[in-house]
Amino acid sequence: MSDRRMGVYICHCGGNISDYVDVERVRQTIVNEPGVVVAKTVVSACSDDSQQQMIQDIREQNLDGLVVASCSPKLHTFTFRSLARRAGLNPYRYTQVNVREQCSWTHTDDREGATKKAIRLIRAGIARTGLTEPLEPIRIDTVPQALVVGGGIAGLRAAIGLADIGISVFLVEKSAAFGGWVSRFGEMYPHGKNGRQLITKLIDEVKKRKNITSFTNAELVEKSGSIGNFNAKIRVNGKGGKKDDINVNVGSIIIATGFDAYQPGEGEYGYGVDGVFTLPEFKELLDKSKGVPVRNGKEIKDIVYVYCVGSRQPEDLENPNRYCSRYCCNAAVHSSILVSERNPKARQYHLIRDMRTYGKYELLYGESRERGSTYLRFGDDDPPVVEKCSDGKIKVTVKDLLTFGEEMEIKADVVVLVTGMVPKKNEELVGALKLPVGRDRFYNEIHPKLRPVETVVDGVFICGACQGPKNSSETVASALAAVTQSASILKKGYVELDPLMAVVYPELCQWCGECEKVCPYSAIEKSGDQGREVARINKAGCKGCGGCVPVCPRDAIDLKGYTDAQMKAMIDGYLRDGDTPLS
Amino acid sequence: MSLVNPVFVDEVKRSGEFNANACMNCGVCSAVCPMGIELLPRKLFRYVLLGLQDKVLENRETVYSCLLCGMCEANCPAGVNIAENVRSLRYYMNKKVFKI
Repeated sequence: MSDRRMGVYICHCGGNISDYVDVERVRQTIVNEPGVVVAKTVVSACSDDSQQQMIQDIREQNLDGLVVASCSPKLHTFTFRSLARRAGLNPYRYTQVNVREQCSWTHTDDREGATKKAIRLIRAGIARTGLTEPLEPIRIDTVPQALVVGGGIAGLRAAIGLADIGISVFLVEKSAAFGGWVSRFGEMYPHGKNGRQLITKLIDEVKKRKNITSFTNAELVEKSGSIGNFNAKIRVNGKGGKKDDINVNVGSIIIATGFDAYQPGEGEYGYGVDGVFTLPEFKELLDKSKGVPVRNGKEIKDIVYVYCVGSRQPEDLENPNRYCSRYCCNAAVHSSILVSERNPKARQYHLIRDMRTYGKYELLYGESRERGSTYLRFGDDDPPVVEKCSDGKIKVTVKDLLTFGEEMEIKADVVVLVTGMVPKKNEELVGALKLPVGRDRFYNEIHPKLRPVETVVDGVFICGACQGPKNSSETVASALAAVTQSASILKKGYVELDPLMAVVYPELCQWCGECEKVCPYSAIEKSGDQGREVARINKAGCKGCGGCVPVCPRDAIDLKGYTDAQMKAMIDGYLRDGDTPLS
Repeated sequence: MSLVNPVFVDEVKRSGEFNANACMNCGVCSAVCPMGIELLPRKLFRYVLLGLQDKVLENRETVYSCLLCGMCEANCPAGVNIAENVRSLRYYMNKKVFKI
């Protein structure tokens, strides 16, 4: 028999569970499980009333374990952990059993089956709880310094933001100068600010701050340590191939490495024909010519824009870019407004697939039409054809869906391929940081809505267009989000991590290295224990995924909170037939 | 295949107050047109805006079929003066085609 004193609470969820699961029968069956001293049904376990009742039971009955059978642990793990803490029970001695999503909601046609399944799941939960031990969150002290990789508009703004809240910054830029893409732009939407001037201003601000150390021609080549205390190696490429390595100690790392412009292949929409430009190339041409835009000394009169080049590509292409680059509709429409401001007589034809001037940028679309831009829409399966003409003009043939599929021919001086953003190739950085790369090959955040700049690597943040297409204002907003997230760790001085992580039994370990190979977080390393080589878990790096546990040939690794003994006990709990009491 | 003639729209514009730039191709005008002729008025305006001169001239009867009732104009979400545009188009045709 067990000497544990556990409380089990079965929730009605206001009928969500009790309409399909006989909660009273469940209670009567599990009340006899070893170690269970309190078994109750509650109408709503998460309500204040029920929580109060549980706290009272824990205190009065001196409970040392808690099982709540209600909804998904995703919903209320932290609710009941915090309840346990308030009642004086170690939060890691509580188990959440999901009898709503896994029983009542899935088996609405089978009350008997749902009830028996609930009994089995709760038995497993009780078995696990019976073998829990008190655990405490792991506290890691943090270094009040940060590393920012990438010196474009995102990296510069992030560095200034961090510096201003008292965090020292190392700013690393791969190329010879700071500024990135924006430093090449002239007038930008929506406020008509000049890109070069914006960057100059940011660089001045960086220079003014003594707590920013900046490096150009430099790369992050190695990283060790973990959240709050990373060691990063910065390689500075000097003149004549001379390389200097600088080691810095930082608490967090912000990745702001930006994007590459899509480069069309030879012949793609006529690319390669004289007068066919990508959008960045055309913007450069616009910036260079003062007054009426000219090319080769001649006024540019007729312009055709072809949208969605390199974005929203069909599935059957090799490594297609399936995503919308989101900034390009706005940027092309804005460019056409710049053209018509300088040359009201210019005639501009926009060949679109769809127009996505989202939010406030819709006004730009309206303005461009008012200024005389004409929009034609081509079908996904029937793209326009761009060809060189003998008279020096460029012939664009398109079927316009807005004119009922009429096929027409436009003679243009200049064709602009409205190219999107593609992920920057940066395999060394991905390797050094173990950055999570998505199927679109941009870096991935943990949660697109709720944790938009955090990555699965704790303490490593992403921002700007390295994460996916963004315009410059969205980029700066995400850079400042990364600043806030960094500061929330670094200003507090420490981080608390879930203790549900791997543990090595050094007396069993003979260091074969199998665990180190499978660890996706590089959190296992070889270390010495009384003259023997054994595995050591870096507690700040371990995520408790359990990948190392089954590969260990000597069962020398266990996962706290989900030990082998607990898993076996849970399986036994599941396997016992529905209403059979323990013999 | 029709050739886009960028000069055509300028000519039409000069002849009157033709302005359909604000049109975003929603099609409400054609849906409410009591004449029920495919071309009226959206497609006709597309022809003008795109400079498809031949198409416009081929369909001169359609241009004169419009009742100028103004249903389209009353319902246009972009505020295009549709009936007025038809008038300026007729003005252009009267001058250039019928020489009156």
